[in-house]
Amino acid sequence: MAELQQALMMVFSWEVLAVVLGASLFGLFIGAIPGLTATMATALLVPVTFFMDPLPAIAAIVSATAMAIVAGDIPGALLRIPGTPASAAYTEEAYQMGRQGRVGQALGVNLACSAVGGVIGVAILAFFAPLVAEFALQFTSDEYFWLALLGLSCAVLVSGSDPLKGAISMLLGLLVAMIGMDSVSGQMRFTFGLPELLSGISILPVLIGLFAVAELLRRLPEVGQRVIPTPPVAEKPFRGVGTLMWRYKGGMARSGVLGTLIGALPGAGADIASWISYALSRRLSRTPERYGTGHPEGLVAASSANNAALSGAYVPALVFGIPGDTITAIIIGVLMMKGITPGPDVFTTDAALVNAIFIVFLLANLLLLPLGLLAVRGSRHILSVPPAVLYPLILLFCIVGAFATNNSNFDVWIMLILGVIAFFLAENDFPIGPMILAVILGPVVESNFMRSMIKHSGDMTLLFERPIAAVLGVIAILVWVAIIATTVWPVRNKRRQSVQD
Amino acid sequence: MRVNDLVMGVVMALIGAITVWGSRNFPAMPRQEFGAGTFPTLIGGLLMLLGVLLALRAWKRGDLGFSWQGEFAASRVFLCIAAVILAVVGYLLLAPLLGFPVVAWLMTTLMIGWLSSGRWGLSVLVGGVATLLIWLAFVELLRVPLPLGVLERVVY
Repeated sequence: MAELQQALMMVFSWEVLAVVLGASLFGLFIGAIPGLTATMATALLVPVTFFMDPLPAIAAIVSATAMAIVAGDIPGALLRIPGTPASAAYTEEAYQMGRQGRVGQALGVNLACSAVGGVIGVAILAFFAPLVAEFALQFTSDEYFWLALLGLSCAVLVSGSDPLKGAISMLLGLLVAMIGMDSVSGQMRFTFGLPELLSGISILPVLIGLFAVAELLRRLPEVGQRVIPTPPVAEKPFRGVGTLMWRYKGGMARSGVLGTLIGALPGAGADIASWISYALSRRLSRTPERYGTGHPEGLVAASSANNAALSGAYVPALVFGIPGDTITAIIIGVLMMKGITPGPDVFTTDAALVNAIFIVFLLANLLLLPLGLLAVRGSRHILSVPPAVLYPLILLFCIVGAFATNNSNFDVWIMLILGVIAFFLAENDFPIGPMILAVILGPVVESNFMRSMIKHSGDMTLLFERPIAAVLGVIAILVWVAIIATTVWPVRNKRRQSVQD
Repeated sequence: MRVNDLVMGVVMALIGAITVWGSRNFPAMPRQEFGAGTFPTLIGGLLMLLGVLLALRAWKRGDLGFSWQGEFAASRVFLCIAAVILAVVGYLLLAPLLGFPVVAWLMTTLMIGWLSSGRWGLSVLVGGVATLLIWLAFVELLRVPLPLGVLERVVY
């Protein structure tokens, strides 16, 4: 109880509240602009959070991402352009509702269901994370090695249609993580005689490069070539929303829970949660034929799922230090920069901080309603900001953000080089998610493996000796079997088909 | 901008081979066969293997060497990439000499002017305001030592 009181006092300070409000408005703005994602909002925020205490830093990221995911629904409903990938699953549905004169209602459903989904996610997070953490206190390097490996494997499995490219992207990320001094033996690796590389590549310029510069390179050619039409006015956003939510309450609750679970899966984030919930809602619906024609049932399900997934991703991130998606990968990076290593110990040593994070989550999800409404009302103004003005400013912000990590131009070079490489890889269908997860998880996998090998005198079979480690190990191996199967099967099927033809 | 997976695969395999070669001298831990070279060698080896698999798959499919996919002309995309690289490299080279305020203002003004097809009044104004705000936030508030260059002599 004393911890809860302390957590409440930490959250309800002027500094944290001001940060939550500022970051929320920033998240709404970035999310509402088509093409700019919640991950980009986070990457752009990190340089500023670098100078904050741990709680305001996390509060900023939590509120900005929750708002960005919701704001992504606005251009989807108004213009049929999803603001973030997490809105793509139901953009058509929301747009069709708009064409029937119910654009306000579509956005109202988005906002209200996002808030409900987010609260379900927070409730699950706050209830289960401490339980799992208590269980995880008994974990040794064996379990952590398998967990981190499992995180990497799942990231590849869910990264997209081509697991081979996902795996290559992961290996490139691991390669980046190998640069610098080896944490176990102290050996210098791949530093090319550059003193700046001795302590490894800082995570911040990597994030800004992969998620802001690469995205900018992808969006820049659109400027002046594609004109964003003036959006229609969204009138009376909350009219009839309560009735709709009550009618589809089962689907909403199911999607909230499902979204949280998908979010907790390493590598799968809000976008995957929203696609799967939409598909499941259609399959279980009594009127599946009405999906895609402006039917709100799928909208209710998917809107609550994507915000729930945001909270779900924090379960493995806080309990094991294993990121559930790209945003929590960034959070782990931020916490580590502040000298806090996420893991089960945090729940005992920094219990107040963990509780405060849960409260911030709840606060951000409740703030969704008033601030989201504000964004809907101001959407015409947000969408009228010309990209020609916005993109150069984002580039300048990237440069300053990368520089601020170590006050060194070297990091700006790293940001540029990795940004161009990530753009090129993404153009060739290599997913970027596994790469950033690998940059974070690489050192975790390696150091725990080495610790286990020192403990077991180099006998790898002993990695399966402890029961939980054995289970995790078997699951990790099964995931790799699944990855290999999904890579080989389509090729075989195609060959068989061409032989039959 | 799509490059044949055959080329991508070969490049990945080469990166893998270089990694394996670069890790050959990393020492093992005392009385262990594992050491600082274990993971880099494993990663390099896997990269070689998957690179070769990617190349073989593309070769069997008979993919084209280089193709242009996307709604914008190749020249426009290359121009944009070049502009971003030029802006960042230009900043890195000039900021220590001329100072952040001058270079940031110049960079944003030129980019906005170019992207907005010549609305120079707007670009000078927005560039100036943005530079001022970033300076106030990062230098005055967060104490990030952005370079002043020659301005140092003017200010101090």
